[in-house]
Amino acid sequence: MGLFTELKDSISRVTDRLFSEQEPKRIGIYGPPNAGKTTLANRIARDWTGDAIGAESHIPHETRRARRKENVDIERNGKTVTIDIVDTPGVTTKVDYEEFTDELDEEDAIRRSREATEGVAEAMHWLREDVDGVIYVLDSAEDPITQVNTMLIGIIESRDLPVLIFANKTDLDDSSVKRIEDAFPQHTTVPLSAKEGDNMDEVYDKIAEYFG
Amino acid sequence: MPHQCTNCGRTFADGSKEMLSGCPDCGGNKFQFAPTTAATADTSDGASDTEAADAESTESGSVTSRATETVRDWITKDDDPMDGRNRQSPDPAVQSAPDGSSAAVESERSWPSNGGADTTEADGETDEQFAEWPETARRPENRTDTQTETIDESGDSERSHQRSDEPTTTLADNESSAQADARSEVISAGDLPTHTDGATVSDPRHGVDADEPTDATAGDDRPPEHGRVVSEPSGDRPSIDDLREELNKQFESIKIVRPGQYELNLMELYNREEYIISLQEDGRYVIDVPDSWRDGGDSDE
Repeated sequence: MGLFTELKDSISRVTDRLFSEQEPKRIGIYGPPNAGKTTLANRIARDWTGDAIGAESHIPHETRRARRKENVDIERNGKTVTIDIVDTPGVTTKVDYEEFTDELDEEDAIRRSREATEGVAEAMHWLREDVDGVIYVLDSAEDPITQVNTMLIGIIESRDLPVLIFANKTDLDDSSVKRIEDAFPQHTTVPLSAKEGDNMDEVYDKIAEYFG
Repeated sequence: MPHQCTNCGRTFADGSKEMLSGCPDCGGNKFQFAPTTAATADTSDGASDTEAADAESTESGSVTSRATETVRDWITKDDDPMDGRNRQSPDPAVQSAPDGSSAAVESERSWPSNGGADTTEADGETDEQFAEWPETARRPENRTDTQTETIDESGDSERSHQRSDEPTTTLADNESSAQADARSEVISAGDLPTHTDGATVSDPRHGVDADEPTDATAGDDRPPEHGRVVSEPSGDRPSIDDLREELNKQFESIKIVRPGQYELNLMELYNREEYIISLQEDGRYVIDVPDSWRDGGDSDE
C-alpha cells in the first residue's frame, strides 16, 4: 500500500473516530494454535470488508504477529456494529520446532518456533492492554479442557471482558460442541465452521449482541 | 538503573515507562536488563538449575543466587556477546577479591560508554540472533557446564564482595552512580515479584503454570559431565521439592530449553506491564514499541 493511500487511510480513520459516537470495540480473537482463528478472522473480514487479514495454514503457529482489521461494520437487524478485529497468535505453554520439521527444514522450523514464542508474548500482552472483548476460538474436535484454555478464559473472566466461545470446525467428524459447552457452561458457545462458512448468521448475531 | 538501551546506552530506572514508546533519545526498541535480583535471571536459572536439581542435587539453594551473579557477570562484563566468552575466562589465578572487584567495577563502568559501539551489534540482531549469542545461551546442557565454569573462574570475585558487606561499601566508592543505584536496589527492591528468598510470595498460579514445563525439562538428557563441577557444602541443603518449588516460582515468562524449544509462563507474560521478548539469557531483550504496531501496516494487508 502506497504511502499516500496509507496516509489518507489513517487520516480518514482519525476523522471517523472524531465523528463516531464511540471508538469501535477492539475484539481479540484468541485461542490455542490451529483452532482456526485466522480462518475466522478472514471470514469475518471478507464478509464485511472484502479483505482478508492474514494467511491461513494447517501448520500451527502460522500467525505469529497480532494482526488487526479496523472498522469492520457488521450489520444486524438494521443496525451497524463497528468493531476492530485483532487476530492473535495461538497461545500455548510450549513451542517446539520439532513439531514443524516434517514440513519445514530445521532452520525455518526453529525460526517459526521463536517467532511463535514471541507471538504468544504479544498475544498475552494485548490481552492485558488492548482488547475490549474476546472471541475465544476452539477446535471442537479437540478436548477443550486444557491448561491454556482454562487459564486464558480465567484471565478474561478476571478482567470482566465480554467473551464468546466459538466451537469451530463443526464440519469435522470428531466435532463435539457439547464438550465445549460442558467445559465452559458459564459462557455462550456458538458452533460454526469458519472454513465452510456454516452458522455465520448466528456468529454475527452474537457478535453484535455481545460487542455492539 | 537496570534497563539500558542497547543502541545509545541510555539507562532507565526499574519500572520506567519512558522506554515503552521506544528510547526517547534514539528511538531504539532494544533494551537490556541488568538484573538486580534473582527475578531477572530466572529465564536462564530455571532450565539449568532444574536439571541440576533433578540430576544429582549436588548444588544447594544458593545456586540460584550464584547463577544470578553469573548472569550479572555476563551483563557487566559482556559488552559484546561475541567477545563475552573470552572475557569471562580471565586468568583463573586472579581469585583475590580486591583484584576481582576492581576488575568487575572497571568493566561495569565502561559498559555504558561502550553502548555506542554496541550499536552495530544490536542493530544486526534479528533473525540471526542465535548466531551471536554467547555459547552459554544455546543449549541448556552447555549452559549448565558453562555456568559452572563461569562461577569458578569469574563468579568468585563478584560473589565474594556480594556476600559480605565490607567489600560492598568500599566498592561503592568506586562505582558509578548508576551501578550504585542498581546495587542498592538489590537490597531494597522488596516490590519485585520474585526474589531469591524462598519466603516471598507463594503464588499458586506459578506452581501450576511452571510445573509441567519444569518436569519436562528435567526429562532432558544430560550430557556427560565435563569441566569442573562446583560442589557445595551440603549442610543446609534444601530438598529437591523445595528447590523445584522455588525454581517454579522464579520461572519467568519465557524459558529457552534450546533454540527452537520454548516454555512459556502465560501468567508471567500476562502480568508484565511492558511487552518483553526475552529470548536471550545474557540479560538482553527486545521490547515491543506499541506505536510501531498500532501504526504498522499489518492491519492493512
